[in-house]
Amino acid sequence: MNALDRFREVNRSFPKTSQILEHKSQGKKVFGWLCTYVPEEIIHAAGALPIRIIGYSHEAELDEGNAHLYINNCSFSRSCLQLGLEGEYDFLDGVVGGSTCDGARRLFDVWRRYIGTPFHHVLTVPRKFDDKAQRLYCDEVLKFKRHLEEYLGVDITDDALHQSTLLLNESRALLRRLYELRKRDNPPITGAETMEVLNAAYRMPKEIFNRWIQGLIDELEASEKTHSGRARLMIVGSVLTNPEFVKSIEEQGALVVTDELCTSTRYWGDEVQLDDDKPVLEAISKRYLNNFPCARMYPSDERFNRIVDFTREYKVDGVISETVRYCVPYAHDLPLLSKRLRDEGIPTLALDVEYGTSGSGQIATRVQAFLEMLEASGK
Amino acid sequence: MTIERRGGNSVGAIIKACRLMTRMNQATPGARQSDVLYYKMLEGYYRRLLQAHDDGKLIAAHTDFFPVELVYAMDIVPMHTEVTTWMMTLFTGENEDILSASAELGLASEICTPHRGLAGAFVTGAIPRPDIMLWSNLVCDNTAKSGELIMDVTGSDGFFLDHPFKQSDEEVKYLVEGLGDMVSFLEQRSGNRMDWDRMSEIVERMDRQIELIREINELRKAVPTPFSPLGFMQLLTVDYLCPGQPEAIEYLEALRDELVAAVKDGRGTVSRERFRLMSFFLPPMHMLGFLDRIAEEFGAVSVNEPFFTFWGEGRLDPSKPLESVAQKSYMIPEMRMFGPLDERAIDSIVDCAGQYRIDGAIFWANVGCRHTCATIKLFKDVLEDIDVPMLTVDCDVVDPTVASEEEVRDKLEQFFELLEDR
Amino acid sequence: MHLLGIDVGSLTTKAVVLGDGGVLSYSITESGDESEQSATAAMGQALRSAGLGIGDDTYAVTTGAGGKAVSFSRQHKSVNTCLARGIFHLFPEVRTVIDMGAESSGVLKLNARGRLTDWESQDKCASGTGIFLQQMSKLMRMSLEEMSELSFEAKARAEVSNTCAVFAESEVISHVHRKPPTPTADLVAGIYASMVSRVMVMCKLIGIEREVAVVGGVALNKGLINIVEQELGFKVMVPEVPQIVAALGAGIIARENVEKESEG
Repeated sequence: MNALDRFREVNRSFPKTSQILEHKSQGKKVFGWLCTYVPEEIIHAAGALPIRIIGYSHEAELDEGNAHLYINNCSFSRSCLQLGLEGEYDFLDGVVGGSTCDGARRLFDVWRRYIGTPFHHVLTVPRKFDDKAQRLYCDEVLKFKRHLEEYLGVDITDDALHQSTLLLNESRALLRRLYELRKRDNPPITGAETMEVLNAAYRMPKEIFNRWIQGLIDELEASEKTHSGRARLMIVGSVLTNPEFVKSIEEQGALVVTDELCTSTRYWGDEVQLDDDKPVLEAISKRYLNNFPCARMYPSDERFNRIVDFTREYKVDGVISETVRYCVPYAHDLPLLSKRLRDEGIPTLALDVEYGTSGSGQIATRVQAFLEMLEASGK
Repeated sequence: MTIERRGGNSVGAIIKACRLMTRMNQATPGARQSDVLYYKMLEGYYRRLLQAHDDGKLIAAHTDFFPVELVYAMDIVPMHTEVTTWMMTLFTGENEDILSASAELGLASEICTPHRGLAGAFVTGAIPRPDIMLWSNLVCDNTAKSGELIMDVTGSDGFFLDHPFKQSDEEVKYLVEGLGDMVSFLEQRSGNRMDWDRMSEIVERMDRQIELIREINELRKAVPTPFSPLGFMQLLTVDYLCPGQPEAIEYLEALRDELVAAVKDGRGTVSRERFRLMSFFLPPMHMLGFLDRIAEEFGAVSVNEPFFTFWGEGRLDPSKPLESVAQKSYMIPEMRMFGPLDERAIDSIVDCAGQYRIDGAIFWANVGCRHTCATIKLFKDVLEDIDVPMLTVDCDVVDPTVASEEEVRDKLEQFFELLEDR
Repeated sequence: MHLLGIDVGSLTTKAVVLGDGGVLSYSITESGDESEQSATAAMGQALRSAGLGIGDDTYAVTTGAGGKAVSFSRQHKSVNTCLARGIFHLFPEVRTVIDMGAESSGVLKLNARGRLTDWESQDKCASGTGIFLQQMSKLMRMSLEEMSELSFEAKARAEVSNTCAVFAESEVISHVHRKPPTPTADLVAGIYASMVSRVMVMCKLIGIEREVAVVGGVALNKGLINIVEQELGFKVMVPEVPQIVAALGAGIIARENVEKESEG
């Protein structure tokens, strides 16, 4: 499939993809962001390219990461740091994060000290959704905007923000359309392939990405290709970027029809509701805080409700929870989430993984057993 | 979730142990008054807990650094979850039961033991069932995420206090508003009104408490240092359990007076002080006695803990109770670990090393504590720049299977040898 | 008076008799249940190989897990202190030492005076140690020498877990049973790489300063040293008898003590 190959090419050469290098060669800036609570629109409206900071897409040797963050921090943060310390991110003009979780926090503390990225900003992200939290987060977004303006010596106008929002909303809408295709009984695209598309999404200019994904959707809608499986599964959890992991699940005969991850639906989840009455910055910050919640948010029911909605929309038979070892917020959510899903009649397989794992061996065996159990219970 | 009442009441065990310590201290000539007061305070705290329901009072379980001054002011009985789990391990030596219970709940073993422990402890009935659960994101993800499962397991309702990351005006405002919301919640739940006069008194005492700790830290600068080697654990517990309470003031004043006298006489806490140490994070609870003995044997004393006993600047204003509580939350020593680890936090390490004439540092690397362990290399490098060696000891504050006394002894011995040879 | 350094390890006891130039003689014997016996036996053997009388006057400094229990020890010093002294005597340019022993591994740093300044060690886990290597050798049904020689023919390194010896073992088994099976040379290289990686984390934590030496029994495996050098990007120094460096250091401390005493 031609369209997919283009995304694969980007992923293969990440972090220093040709699109990023092209952008830099034009004298433009690139800012790396870490969590879904960093508003990409601000970066884009400043004329810079926002790209997501991610670790290796496979299980790698993390000597430097381990030494600086210690072995009991999640392998995601260690993997990101490893790449950073090896100079793979030295093209970044700035890094932006949120005070989202301990792993992210410390990654930024250590990054600041040991990697000389010139611009460094951390947004305070509240853990609640109420009005007071909205106000605080909006203020934080404003502060970020001002800091960026000061650093770049530019003025980020409302108009520019508006344009950037429209562009990113288009990406979100297109990704939603892609996911809609997976609601079919026999989707034209696998979970693993979807992950490859997502990986490319936050590594390249959205202008190009939107064209490519539109092309892919057209191709898929026109194609006769279908996939079938013994069961329709949903993957939930923290960070996952290795398509091999999804592939190894699907190779057992399952269909991964949807997911809930930092790097998938929680990334593109909601659109910004632009409203002539409301200032654009407020609309943007409202979207980001209320977006499909990370496990860090309170109350956790907000996340659980959305997951349950997904299981209904995508006719999910079983849920696979992948928690990266030492990922505390997701580990804490697991008991109550499993309970909730059980009440809905949906069994959960809880997998403890290292970031970047390909999912062979042990994991494949457990998935097999899970599928057999689903079949036996007459899904 | 089903709750199976297995274990006995560990609170009773804690009380018994405290009474024993008090009696021992009272019977020993030359024993410190501050030690007597410390165990009395501890005993009083747990007695209140045991009698709370009989006295018609509500029990509010809470996480570390939760502003319990407000709970005290409303005549609700607080139960510090992490400390109670520690105390349980310390005095009963048991934690297998509660850790198994937490595993059965489905909590991953990578979650730190104090937090796994407390969920398990509620399940087994080892600690009393609370009426209210109060938690905040101070100081890590574990405290932030503890509350909902505990509410589910105990059937209590609760309140989550969201503490902002930095200290901008807007963030402080958010925090003060959050504290107000919490007071409303407690009023609604308890049927009591907040006693603002009492609250002001508590704030005043809290201010006094911080001043006393600052004085004590100054006195510890003396060579030889007058404060017992692991005395900082006592200082921590006092603030965790009884902030702004009369017992806390009584204890600190007695301690301060003892230290003043010791410094005047040039009396050190160990017979021959050879190494002055800086400590990071917490040694295993079950090893405290052993470490005290090592300190005497090798003349090694912890004189400074930059992120545990060193309070930030500022005074509290009793006429502005909520603002004061908010301000205090930024002054607590651990806040320098929670907020951005900026130059100020790093500089304080270098400052302390100089002021306290530090020979070496020990980092107690708790296997379950992510955010402190992530600072190991950072602090090691900072200290190396000023030629202070740092020893890392892998351990666990509550689980005795992670590091044995023998292993720790070997490492410490080797470290003291290194310091000596320099 | 004969100057001795005795390293009473949990698996082997090493004794060094110190002469004017350095090591006069040494012995490596299996440790028994009693440290006293192990130390006495090792000392006896070392003295005999130097043609010295075992009844003569001796000044022995001990080190190692069992060193404290030795009644005739004049002083007990920690292993890392002794390693620093020992390596400094052999290669005074060395500032970082990687110790790959039977049951534990570690990294230490020393200054220009041969004084220990820092160390990291791990004894929780078998990976990176001699025991692990022995297990692998049994699993692969090859001797350690065969493995070492073969590793130089590796075209790639098989991926073997570096976080846990138990995982590593099952991974090696699956490599062997794979269709087609992973080339043995690559597998050996992968095993070495996983051991070295364990040690590399400690190196990074402590900071590598050249020159670097590798000691401990595991250092005898040239193939593994090759992997270490590939990781570091430069050549390392390996003593001729890498197992006795701590004992040598203890002997040197013995001499220092005696000289100090005679100076008054």
